[in-house]
Amino acid sequence: MPEHSGGGGGSRGESAGDKAREEFFSEAQEIVDGLSRDLLALDDMSRRGGSDAELVNDVFRAVHTLKGLSGLFGAAMMSGLSHELENLLDDLRLGRIELTSQVLDLLFESVELYGRILAAAKGDAAEPAQEVKALLASLGQVAQQRGGGGGSVVAQYELDPGLLGVLTEYEEHRLRTNLQAGLLLYRLRVQFRLATIDSALDDLKSKTRPHGEIITFLPTGEGGDAESVELEILVASRESLAVLSGAVAGPNITVEEVRRRDGAPTPVASMSPPPLNDEAARGRFSLPVMGASLSGGPITGTTAPIDANDLDAFAGTTRTSLPPAAALSVSPQAGTYPPERARVGVDQGLAGSHIGGASTANAGSRELTLRSVTQTVRVDIRKLDHLMNIVGELAIVRGVVARLSERVRLDPGLKEIAPELHRLHRSFDRHLAQMQNGILEVRMVPLGQVFDKLARIVRQISREHGKQVNLVVTGGETEIDKLIVEELSDPLMHMIRNAIDHGIEDKDTRMRVGKPPVGTIALNAFQKGNHVVLEIEDDGKGMSPEVIVAAALRRGLIHESEAREMSVKEILALVFQPGFTTRDDVTALSGRGVGMDIVKTNISKLGGVVDISSEVGIGTKMTITLPITLAIISVLMLEVAGRMFCMPLASVEEAIVFDDSMIKTFEGREVMTQRGATLPIVRLAKLFQLEGWRPGVWINESARTPKPPEVRPGRKAKSYCIVAAVGDRRVGFIVDKLVGQQDIVIKALGKSLKKTRGLAGATELGDQRVGLVLDAAALIGEVLASSSDGRSAGQHDGLRQLTSMRSLGEGGPP
Amino acid sequence: MKALLARRGEGRSALQRADELGKRAEYLAFMLGTEAYAILIGNVVEILKPLPITEVPRADAEVVGVMSVRGRLVTVVDLKRRFRLTRSFTMDKKSRILLIDAGGELVGLLVDEVLQVYRLAQSEIEPPHVLGTEQPPHVVGLGRPPGGAVLLLLDLAPLFAV
Repeated sequence: MPEHSGGGGGSRGESAGDKAREEFFSEAQEIVDGLSRDLLALDDMSRRGGSDAELVNDVFRAVHTLKGLSGLFGAAMMSGLSHELENLLDDLRLGRIELTSQVLDLLFESVELYGRILAAAKGDAAEPAQEVKALLASLGQVAQQRGGGGGSVVAQYELDPGLLGVLTEYEEHRLRTNLQAGLLLYRLRVQFRLATIDSALDDLKSKTRPHGEIITFLPTGEGGDAESVELEILVASRESLAVLSGAVAGPNITVEEVRRRDGAPTPVASMSPPPLNDEAARGRFSLPVMGASLSGGPITGTTAPIDANDLDAFAGTTRTSLPPAAALSVSPQAGTYPPERARVGVDQGLAGSHIGGASTANAGSRELTLRSVTQTVRVDIRKLDHLMNIVGELAIVRGVVARLSERVRLDPGLKEIAPELHRLHRSFDRHLAQMQNGILEVRMVPLGQVFDKLARIVRQISREHGKQVNLVVTGGETEIDKLIVEELSDPLMHMIRNAIDHGIEDKDTRMRVGKPPVGTIALNAFQKGNHVVLEIEDDGKGMSPEVIVAAALRRGLIHESEAREMSVKEILALVFQPGFTTRDDVTALSGRGVGMDIVKTNISKLGGVVDISSEVGIGTKMTITLPITLAIISVLMLEVAGRMFCMPLASVEEAIVFDDSMIKTFEGREVMTQRGATLPIVRLAKLFQLEGWRPGVWINESARTPKPPEVRPGRKAKSYCIVAAVGDRRVGFIVDKLVGQQDIVIKALGKSLKKTRGLAGATELGDQRVGLVLDAAALIGEVLASSSDGRSAGQHDGLRQLTSMRSLGEGGPP
Repeated sequence: MKALLARRGEGRSALQRADELGKRAEYLAFMLGTEAYAILIGNVVEILKPLPITEVPRADAEVVGVMSVRGRLVTVVDLKRRFRLTRSFTMDKKSRILLIDAGGELVGLLVDEVLQVYRLAQSEIEPPHVLGTEQPPHVVGLGRPPGGAVLLLLDLAPLFAV
């Protein structure tokens, strides 16, 4: 009992943390996808002997963002991987290592691992700890090839990761290079008046230049007020703290040394600074007071070197304790430099109006960036499902309004309001259709999402097999329902793998038969009416019907007599038969069919069909036809034994008027002849055991539940045969009545009905009744499967065998 | 003075009543055939008059069918068939469907009549073994509210565990 109420409460409360995490996942996933795309382009380019610095930068930035994100969400594994990758990419970017295929492999592998880490974080899989470790080791090896372990140098310094996170690539590179060269690192905190910041900064720069290099300057976000801003400036220098602070000294400037984390002496600290420079600095700036106190040694009691927040941030990565005086800071005494101060004051006065202008300009630019960020919104697909449900309900309301409008029109007393109601109904109708389309559009994503993944796989598999394959993609912008895209990647991957594995010949063979040495796989997508067509075409060796037939005979899938009568198309379709292939057959054959039955099943589940055409020596083409969305489908409404069912129109080939004289019975199975071909038929009422009203079953009459059709003796009821096809398997379903065609919102049956075979879902019919949607693929499969099992059984038994339903009469009390 | 005392007495007893109410569990009682059952009212999302129900071929025997409640698909189950009290679905004017949330799925329980809500104190609930030692897990006790009614108290969780 408590489980019920508890379950309801739990689902309602979704904490903000969960939401943020979910967003993190989807954002990280997007970045990883983008990364994969860039890598492919890079790979492509490197194979042609070129390189693109901007692309490397893009990859670098993506990894960088991932690092930041993962740091934020405590995804340690991801952040570790990103960190090392970043180093590698930086070296790449700065030309310190070359973009070899080994490096590319590492990059591709890391993309793969990102995906797995994300899956693990979502709880879908185990964390690939071993693999990440191995990859990190390989990355380390590459790093060694170029010499110094770059990134780790920076990591050894007590730098705020937040600061490191915002360094530009160049700045980070300069920082690393300087540190590797053994320079000291200083942090300057300087207060600038907004009015004078430009000139003051230039001033500071020119003061610093003789002594070192400014790595970066960033606003700290603290210490400033409306008129001033505090900048943090990182300076790499050979000089001692005393010399540098002497050189740049000024009001509101603090200088401190950024020490190494492990407390080891910084490289330059051990060597004595060049005396000449030191003297020169002292002389030039003549700062006797400051100089004296600095040379006295570390100054304590000034600003704390690193604040508690920084320490907390570091705690996760390093556990180094800091000596209290590890970093120094010097606060120049206020009042020592009255002239400077006065100058600032004057400037401030002069630029009074200027400040206002600057700050509004600032605010303006911030708004701009905000706006660009909020252009897109991530939406949980369940929310869209919910909206779709509401649209479905409104459609029912529309139906009621339509009936009402009709009644009002016929009522002479209501003549006046009739046109108005009619207009209202029309407008409602139109807007509802727009809304429905709008929601559907939101669910659509470009197929390119899957294609990018496939391109990666092509690369990987072709390398595994030592074959050269070029993937040509067209129509990546074709849009399809998000849910379909998700389900599509596995079957497509399978087909591509097959094409490379067994379709494309190796280089030598290709040369011998006069084909270009590099094989081509064309992936082509386009929209065709309410469907999306996907073609996967290779220029490999094709599939030989003879070999397929031989294999099928060997496996006992067909009889010799059948084989003689089969068309080429039927023969090719044999590869979709479960159990058609094993590894052995694959090599004996032209190789197709590894798990092709699974491919077919998966595509069928999406309401799609797969077709093969192939020519020996020229290539093979697989065509997948999919509905554009799963949410709304067109169905043929039909009636059987007084009940309404919906058959997805995508599976309906045709509907023909039927009478019993058309039936022939072979070995207890009913078939009919249609245009010279044999069509197995099944009576839906019998298949579902609907015939007649079962005794003792009574469903409330007032609720307009359908009643069985009246059987008038002596009159043969007219019925229809609906020819349904999935792929090239066809079955005729005998039904009582065709009601019409309708677009419906399909809904999944509840958990307790999930096991019922042959039903894809249900929908509301508009008059509050629910119509069941038939699962054509499952029913066809069931009927055809039973035909081989139950051949010897009588007609009725044969049909009953395949309905494993616990009929309503069973299971009662003894 | 007397009135004042009386009022104080009233106040105390009201407090006591509230206290007792807090410990009582609220059960919704309904009829299945000739027997009275009850489930915790917290489990019931809604009580509906029968809507058109579409029977589902090949479903389990206890499934009456599916219906749509404001756009949500509801599987309607007949507890009488589940408990093997009867072979047939029957519905009349008194029939109701109790909408319950069974682990995220909306399920409708077809009952013959909804009686009332009982607040049962712990002392008014007898353990299931008074009916015999071997009781199914969904029978959690026997409710005996004042007035002579006897209710079989059900736990829905074991009934709809998937």
